Amino acid sequence: MDTLAQPSRVDEAVAPVLARPQLDLELRGIRKRYGDFTAVDGISLKVAKGQFVCLLGPSGCGKTTTLRCVAGLEEPDDGGVLIGGKEVTRNPPWQRDIAMMFQDFALFPHMTVAKQVAFGLEMLKKPKAEIAKRVHEVLTSFEIAVLADRKPASLSGGQRQRVALARAMITEPRILLLDEPIGALDYSLRETVMLELKLLQQRTGISFIWVTHDQNEAFSLGDLVVVMNHAHIEQQGTPEEILQRPATAFVAGFVQGNNVFRGRVVEVTAGLAKVATAAGSFLVSVGPSPPLAGDEVSFSVRAERITDIVSDRHLNVLSARCTAVEYFGSVRRHIFERADGEVLKYDQFGAHAARIAVGQRSTLGWQPEDSVLHTGRVE
Amino acid sequence: MIGWKSRLRLTGWLLGTLTVIFLIYQWLPIFTLGLLSFSGPTGGTTFPMNGTSLHWYEEVWRATVMNDFKPPLLRSTLLAAACAVTTIVLSTMAAQAMRGRFRGNGWFFYLMLLGIMAPGILVGFGFAIMMRLLGVELSWDTTTFLVQVSWTLPFGFLTMLAVFNRFDTRVEEAALTLGASRLTTFRRITLPLIVPGVIGAGLFGFSLSYDEYPRSMFTIGPDATLPLAVMAQLDRQITPEIYAIGTMTTLFSLIAVTLCTFGLWAMRRSTSLRRA
Repeated sequence: MDTLAQPSRVDEAVAPVLARPQLDLELRGIRKRYGDFTAVDGISLKVAKGQFVCLLGPSGCGKTTTLRCVAGLEEPDDGGVLIGGKEVTRNPPWQRDIAMMFQDFALFPHMTVAKQVAFGLEMLKKPKAEIAKRVHEVLTSFEIAVLADRKPASLSGGQRQRVALARAMITEPRILLLDEPIGALDYSLRETVMLELKLLQQRTGISFIWVTHDQNEAFSLGDLVVVMNHAHIEQQGTPEEILQRPATAFVAGFVQGNNVFRGRVVEVTAGLAKVATAAGSFLVSVGPSPPLAGDEVSFSVRAERITDIVSDRHLNVLSARCTAVEYFGSVRRHIFERADGEVLKYDQFGAHAARIAVGQRSTLGWQPEDSVLHTGRVE
Repeated sequence: MIGWKSRLRLTGWLLGTLTVIFLIYQWLPIFTLGLLSFSGPTGGTTFPMNGTSLHWYEEVWRATVMNDFKPPLLRSTLLAAACAVTTIVLSTMAAQAMRGRFRGNGWFFYLMLLGIMAPGILVGFGFAIMMRLLGVELSWDTTTFLVQVSWTLPFGFLTMLAVFNRFDTRVEEAALTLGASRLTTFRRITLPLIVPGVIGAGLFGFSLSYDEYPRSMFTIGPDATLPLAVMAQLDRQITPEIYAIGTMTTLFSLIAVTLCTFGLWAMRRSTSLRRA
């Protein structure tokens, strides 16, 4: 992480238009403080044209503040915001090529649906006839034309969501910012809406920056997932990268289905590190830059990589008592007590008959290459 | 033994009756004055009425130099209207400023409210002394206006604070991200949403100024406002003419409030039915 982000300079404002034509958004070490509280601590991010980016993290991690800095609703203390290669760090929201969808949709209570949707075009001073035509098109394509004369108070949650989306999309902004856009919807609606939004994003080629604390949303929607914690980025990458190769103990712990271990490296031999933890000693395969003996490290094993049918290949074994079994339909998750007091999760595909009962002691095993040594900073 | 739901209903009736009694207590004196204002030419200021007529209303209209209420009435109306407009503008601005939380906003809040707490006579007297020291001539449309605004403003301020307290800031932010400047956002989004509060602040400004006595007393200069003129008249002789003025004023206020309410209702209706 670069702790010395350069404040934006005037010469940078003019030059990069041709230099980075393919980037819709670039954040250069933005930083935002509220009194003693640092909300965003040097966030750098590049969003390619038409990319779907999810900012994922627990509440208070700075993801919404980051989004608001992109929108221009907050001014970063330092660092730079570039939209379409143009420096806009100090521009007000109305001078940025963005639109935003708010968590509770923030519809204008005093305007009809048609009026709200027309608002963005009116601000662009488009001729009246053109606005009316566009509004009709957009309302039709979002299947809310029948609601044109209704006011927000008389709409359902799903309808409001559509109106908010239509209002934001009508000006065809370069970037659409979405702050927990489906968090206010009924749970049963979310999956459908997610799919619709994904298809809409692919069809329009508008970059989406989607803030959420829900990893299901982030992993099923994002081309790029940015995991944030305590005002900084822990890891950014494709959903696969983040799920399979978590960079830090935080990411591994935050993402569902990981078993995180913390310990000290005892020895490193032939691509394997032996790590002593409170739950026992385990072998972890290491990459091109292995840790040194004595290093404090953390590693994780995904719950589905573990097995209760242990063979010679499973160099790591652990005996524990099963305390609970959760059934998810496709997966049966077993919770075990670890020697260090934490839990060990073991997923078995649900199609198999249950092999382990609550209260039973089992020996579980995994191979060194099933575990991921975290390369990021250790907390 | 009766259930708690039945007891609840009983309490409801009891409190309802009490409320009605209170409302009668509040409005009966005004109604009495209104009734007496229609008494005959020989009628006094108490019952019995001695006939009914519009005599005392004619008296108000056909006034002598000594007891002509029309100029004070005009002055009071103008003054109240000016106070209403000033209260609306300043209280909206002050409440907007409070939303932003500036340095010393706590002090600002309490200093604004001091206008409500400070005794009117002292404020009026102090202001008059200060004006005398500064060599400013007292007049109903300068010094009295200023003192009255210091009285009406805090009420408008509290009204607008309450309105903004329930205001969803993200609605404004949505407008900003849709390309509206701050001014356009205020005009198209904020203002329409706070109109009920604005009207409330205006009504406070008007009604508080219209019947203000203590603050006007020392700051008025040569030309009196209606309350001062009425008090002067009361010192000389009381006739039902005073009641006629009171009744007209009350009616005027009622009509104004009704019009405001109706206007608000009509506005809501038209925006909800208007074709896009």
